[in-house]
Formats: sequence, structure tokens, C-alpha cells
Amino acid sequence: MRQLIVRRLLQTVPLLFFVSVVCFFMIKLAPGDPVLSFVTPNMHAEDIERVRHNLGLDKPAYIQYFIWLKELLQGNFGYSLTNHQPVLDQILERLPATAGLMGSAIALAVLLAIPLGLLAGANRNRWVDKLINFISYIGISVPLFWLAILMIYLFAIKLHWLPSMGMRTIGVESTADVIKHGVLPCTVLAFGFLTSYVRYIRSSTIGQLKEEYVQIQYAFGASKTTVLFRHVMKHVLLPVITLLGMSMGDLVAGAIVTETVFSWPGIGSLGMTAVRGMDYPVIMGITLFSSLMLIIGNLAADILYSFVDPRIKLTR
Amino acid sequence: MRKRLTGFIGVILLTLLVSACSGGNNAAPAASNAPAESQQPADNGAPKDGGNLIIGVAADPVILNPNYAGDRVSLTIDQALYAPLFQVNNGKKTFYLADSLTPSADNLTYTLKLKSGLTWHDGEKLTADDVVFTINSILDEKQNSLLRSNLIIGDKPIQAVKVDDLTVEFKLPQVAPAFEATLVQISPIPKHIFENEADIEKSPKNNTPVGSGPFKFKEYKTGEYLTLERFDNYFGGKPHLDSVTYRIAKDTNSANLALQNGEINVKYLDPQDVATFQATNNFEILPYSEGRLAYLLFNANSDRGALAKKEVREALSLALSRDELIQTAYTSGDYAEPAKSFVTPDGLFFTNDVTSYDNDAAKAKELLDKAGVSNLKLRFITTSGNKVQEAVSLYVQQKLKAIGVDVELQSVDASAYSKRFTDKDAKDFELALAGYIMGYDPDAYRILYSSTGNSNYSHYNNPEVDKLFEAGAGEADTAKRGEIYKKAQEIVAEDAPIYPIAYTKTIVAVSKQYGGIEEAVLKPVVIFEDLSKIYLK
Repeated sequence: MRQLIVRRLLQTVPLLFFVSVVCFFMIKLAPGDPVLSFVTPNMHAEDIERVRHNLGLDKPAYIQYFIWLKELLQGNFGYSLTNHQPVLDQILERLPATAGLMGSAIALAVLLAIPLGLLAGANRNRWVDKLINFISYIGISVPLFWLAILMIYLFAIKLHWLPSMGMRTIGVESTADVIKHGVLPCTVLAFGFLTSYVRYIRSSTIGQLKEEYVQIQYAFGASKTTVLFRHVMKHVLLPVITLLGMSMGDLVAGAIVTETVFSWPGIGSLGMTAVRGMDYPVIMGITLFSSLMLIIGNLAADILYSFVDPRIKLTR
Repeated sequence: MRKRLTGFIGVILLTLLVSACSGGNNAAPAASNAPAESQQPADNGAPKDGGNLIIGVAADPVILNPNYAGDRVSLTIDQALYAPLFQVNNGKKTFYLADSLTPSADNLTYTLKLKSGLTWHDGEKLTADDVVFTINSILDEKQNSLLRSNLIIGDKPIQAVKVDDLTVEFKLPQVAPAFEATLVQISPIPKHIFENEADIEKSPKNNTPVGSGPFKFKEYKTGEYLTLERFDNYFGGKPHLDSVTYRIAKDTNSANLALQNGEINVKYLDPQDVATFQATNNFEILPYSEGRLAYLLFNANSDRGALAKKEVREALSLALSRDELIQTAYTSGDYAEPAKSFVTPDGLFFTNDVTSYDNDAAKAKELLDKAGVSNLKLRFITTSGNKVQEAVSLYVQQKLKAIGVDVELQSVDASAYSKRFTDKDAKDFELALAGYIMGYDPDAYRILYSSTGNSNYSHYNNPEVDKLFEAGAGEADTAKRGEIYKKAQEIVAEDAPIYPIAYTKTIVAVSKQYGGIEEAVLKPVVIFEDLSKIYLK
């Protein structure tokens, strides 16, 4: 077991290397020039070239990559090309906001998705199922930014229940205040996650209901509710572990659209600005960070699996 | 395992694709009646002290150091943090840190006198040493300052020499009346803070800026807001407001909702949103000239060659109607004045009384025939997601079709657009929409219209204009200088290297709770020139 975990962890190194190469060269292939995002029209050509040289952007792309890699191996994520602040500091500064928002949205989505998915699966093709399906389809079809604007309009402008934007009231430092600001973005994001989770759990429930143990429980006279929430749910929770493992990447990558609409100071909006300015050290930092989390999340899911369901053996 | 690999690649693809979906600000909700502001006290005229002002900005500031600030948000915040030496409005100087600026008889030395008793926000004295230090760090090649090129006159740097604590002499390598316009852009940075920094641009000290403006730095929550508080020793008198907060709101629609909701008090508006805010009666809607020209670029360097001919550019211009273009782009003439000259109305020696080609399709066809050009096909690049550019490009396509010119629209994302537009060797497009703000001294336009200019994107080449720009840069006599630039404006207008569309206005909404807007002076890019004058009614 331990050997296996070590091997899986070692596998992440070439994987991350591969991710970084692909990411780096795709940025370099994109049309655009990072220098253009901060030069002014009245700068002389030689001044622009000097800035380009000072930033090392006049070197061939593969050399730039190796310089970046060499620094990374020494623990240096580099500096942003636009504001010249260390990349790692910027990511760590925004990490709590994103992890808090995404964490609570995912948790909320899972908590709601389990009963909804179970109900839909158990009542397949009946009105409960159709209603839940209908809501899921809305969730999949509606663009989140539109839903977000609608919710702001209703809850902030019309009802005055909640603030429309930001993570804090200006100058206020309290957890309650942050939670109040987080309600709307968290709900919008949870709705986005919820719909796919529900579909997942629903189909898993339908599969489980055909299993023999369900028939046996019924034969022993167990009620429908007992079967569903005591026995079937345990089995349905297994794929939820995978879902959560896969969400670990989201946890640090953030949600670009939702964070932007709600002015939530997370990694998603940092990434958005970086992509616009072709600020590759920042883009690389965020990509590596979220890839690493995704890999670790998957590994953790696999390990948990083997504990929860002894039939599943960890193999390579 | 294999399946998850697609997940990783998905992450990478997403980071790259995001820019493609940016700027998709569709579907604004129909806001019918917004709630009334909670307080609407009677305006008794006298400015009161206290209160906070929240200004909505669209991004985080890039760097709060005037030697490096090039983006709108940093420049806006710097305007409150760092006092300038002096400012110029409609040709009139307003002195801030400076007391006077006097050119010598030969116009090669400018003597700057500082006001006495100036201090930085941390209480240190602000003296001639700081001014000299600022100039020298801008000129230092290792420091990457954006302003460096402005201090180089004819290949030689200017020199700043301290005479005494309150006096600095600037020595120019040659006569250059535009030097005053250069000084307007410079705000001193504190020597005692940055003296020993090897790389000022990367210095963590930029995160807690120390300036000399009406408000001093208080706190910055990245991605959320930045707050400044009153600087009691401001030389222009104690500011009225206790604090000013810049709230970062990247999404236009939600920022507009926050403005309605009173979570933001000052914000730029798009023309199409004006009616909504006017209806609430809670806001002063203030359109003001931005000193910006919006124009259609003709790339004479394209491999199809056609636009190198003056007659063709003239014909294309004649096919368009300026008034219709303004309607298309800015919804009404309230937010844009028809433009004919390449100089903006705030510029010295501006004249709109120049040749203009406008709205004459018959003559346009005639000109094309005379030039022997037929079946002309042009490529028009636009920024995807930019609604104004999309609307205008469709209009241009339709109008040019009427004179037998085919226009192919190429919509590209913002960074690709700016790369193609600013690439001086670009031969793969003929038309593009752009705009510029060049400041009030006409020498600034040299880089755009002289044949060797750095930003001569239309590849305009007229030796006579080159000579006029050369002469204007070194002419100390104002009357003669005026003649030179008026002539240049006429020649360029006649040659039509661009089609000037409009001098655009910025629209700012300010909550009616605040007064003193006139005294604070609305200014292009930075909104308020002097925030110390704003007060809560």
C-alpha cells in the first residue's frame, strides 16, 4: 500500500512536467505579446526592446521555458510580467478566498445532490424524477453569469438582503461579514455543480436498485425509505468520493466567471487577468497548482475507495 | 487513469480559451426602478467634512508608482496618492507641488521652484532632492520606467540639477516646448524610500506607497478594494472626505447594479446605460471630453497595396458618414463630437477647420474609377466581443459595398488584435478601428504621423509633414509654432491616412450625495484631478 502511494506520487512528477510543457508552449503559440500589455505608445522602440530584454522575453521560447523550470526547481515561481510581484505570493494571497468559496459550494452541492439524486433514481420516470430532471436541465442550460446577475438583482437590489459584490464590507474584518458576502456566489456555484452531481447519483441509484441485496431487503420487509437511505445510499456514496477527488482541481483553480461577476478576490479572477495580459508566469503557476491538487485529489479518492470498499484493491 | 488525463488538458485549454469568452457582457437585466438612495439632504452649499467616497474601478491597480503606472486604474489611484508638479487644463497651468516653472531666455533651461513646507505622507520633507531622484530613476536604463522615452530629446536625455532645497534646474539638449507637457506626467517619488532599491519596479515598497497627494495609503485587499485616508498636511488644504475607496468590480453589469445599490458612488458609464441611471434621479451624469480621437485606420503598408494611393483613401472616406458612424458607435452625438483633425480639442493649436471627406458616395465611385481601382477587397480587423467595433465594422462593410468595395471582417481576440495592430510590418489587413489620447502638446503626435514615427501604424509618409513636426518641436515662438501645427493638421486631413470619426467623451456617474465636483475638475483617464475638493453633502 505504502509502496503504491509512493509510486503514484512519483508519477506526478513527469505528469506535471508534461502539463507545464504543454501549457507553456500553448501560451507561446497564442497570438499576442506580453510586452504590449504594458508599453505605452510614446515609448521609443529601443526602450521597448530594452524592457523585453530585461524581462528575458527576447530569448527563444524553449530557453525561456528552461529558465522558468530551473527557477521553479529552486522553489521560485517567478514574477508576474505585469505587476512584478512574486507569483507564489499572489496565488497564496488569493487561495483562501477561492478555497473557501469553492469548498462550501462543492459541499453544499453534494449535500443537496445526494437526497435529490436518490429520490430521482428511486422514482424513475415519475413526476418527482421529472421535476428534478427539469431543474437539472435548467442548471445545465442556464449560463451562470446570467443566473448570478439575476440573483444580485433580486437579493441585493430589490430585497436588500445581501450585498451585491465583494468579499467584505469595506474596512470590516469579520467571518460573519465574509459569509454574508459569500451566500450569493456560493449558491450560484453550487447550482452549477449540483446539476451534474444529481445526474451522476441518479444513474448510480438506478443501477444499485437492480442489485440483489435490494431485493433481499425488500423480501425481509424493509420499507422503501429504509432501503433507499440506509442501504442504497452507502453504495451511492462511493462515486461521490470520485466526484470530490475530481473537484480538488476546481478548489484551487477557482471559478472564473462567478468570481468575476461577484468581484470575489479569488484565483479565477487572477487567472483571467493573467490570460488577458499573456502573463505566463502567473498562468503557469495557477495551472501547475491546480493540476497538482487534481492529482492529489484523485490519489486520495483512490485510497479512500480501498478503505470504504474492500472489494476494490489498489493496483497499478 | 487515462481518462483523467483529458481532465488535465482540459485545465490547460480552459486557461487559454478564457480570453475568447471575455468581454461577453450580454443580457443586462431590465432595471426599471431602482430603490431610492437612503439619504437626500438639502444642499445648503457649504462643504462639510467627513465621509467616504467609493469609486468603482474595473481592475486591480498594476503598480502604485507613478514611474511605472501605465494602466487606467493605477493612474487613477496615483492621482490621489501622488501630487503632480503642475497640471494643464485648456492651456492654463494649475500648480500643485511646484510654485513656478520659468524657461530661460534661450529656452534651454527650465527652473522649477517647489512650494515650501511640503511633506511626504510619512512626515519627511519633500525637496528638490526627490525631484532630481525621480528624474534620474526614470532615466536609469535598469529601472524600466515607462516614462523614459519622454525625457529623451533628440537622442539626448534631459538633466535635472538641484540648485537649492526648493529649486531644480532642468537642462535640455535642445529647444523643446513640449517639455512642459512631459513634466505634467511626472509626479515625484520619495527618495528616502527608494534610494537603496536595486529594482524599484519589483520593490515591495510599492505595496505601501508613500506619496504627497491629498490622500494617503491605508489598506489594499487584492481583488476587493483599496482604501486611502485623508492626509491632513496636504499642501492644498485638508481634504474634505475622511477616506476614498477604490472598489474593484470587473464585471460591468454587476458593477452597475452595485452603483444603483449605493455600494459604489462613482463609476464610468457606457452610453447605453445612461438612461437607466438618469431615471433613478440619484446620480449626476457627467459626460466630459476625454481628449481622445476615435478613428478608422488605413494601413498603407498592406500587401494589397491599394491604400497607399491617396485617391483610394479619399474615396473610402467619402463613402462613410461621420454622423451615422457616431450614431452607430455612441448612440447619440451627446457623447462624441465629429472629428476632422488628428489633434484633439484639448490640444494646443487644435483646429477642426480642415479638409474633410464625408458622405459623398457618387464622388467616391468617381475617384475609384479615376484611380483605376476596381474589385477592391479589404480586410478589416476587429476585437471580438467589442460591441462598438462590431457595430461600426458592419456599418463600414455595408457603406463600402455601395461603392463596390468588398470588406472581409476578421474578428480576433484582444491580445491578437493589439499585436497585429501595433506590428509595424503587418501587411495582412487594411482597416482597423482604434483610438488615442496623446495629451495637450501636438509634438506628441509626431510618433503617429511622421514617416519614421514609432507608432505610425497607417504608414503615412509625407516629407512635408515630417519637416513641420521637426520644426514644431524646436520652435519656441508660440505664434509661429501654432502656424506650423495648423498647417500640419490641414495636410494630414487632406492626405487622409486615417478617417477621424469622433472626439469621444467619457461618461461618469456621481451619486448626488457628493459635491465639489466642479472644483475637483473632471480629467481624462483619472476622473478627478484633485480629490481633496470633493465633499459629502
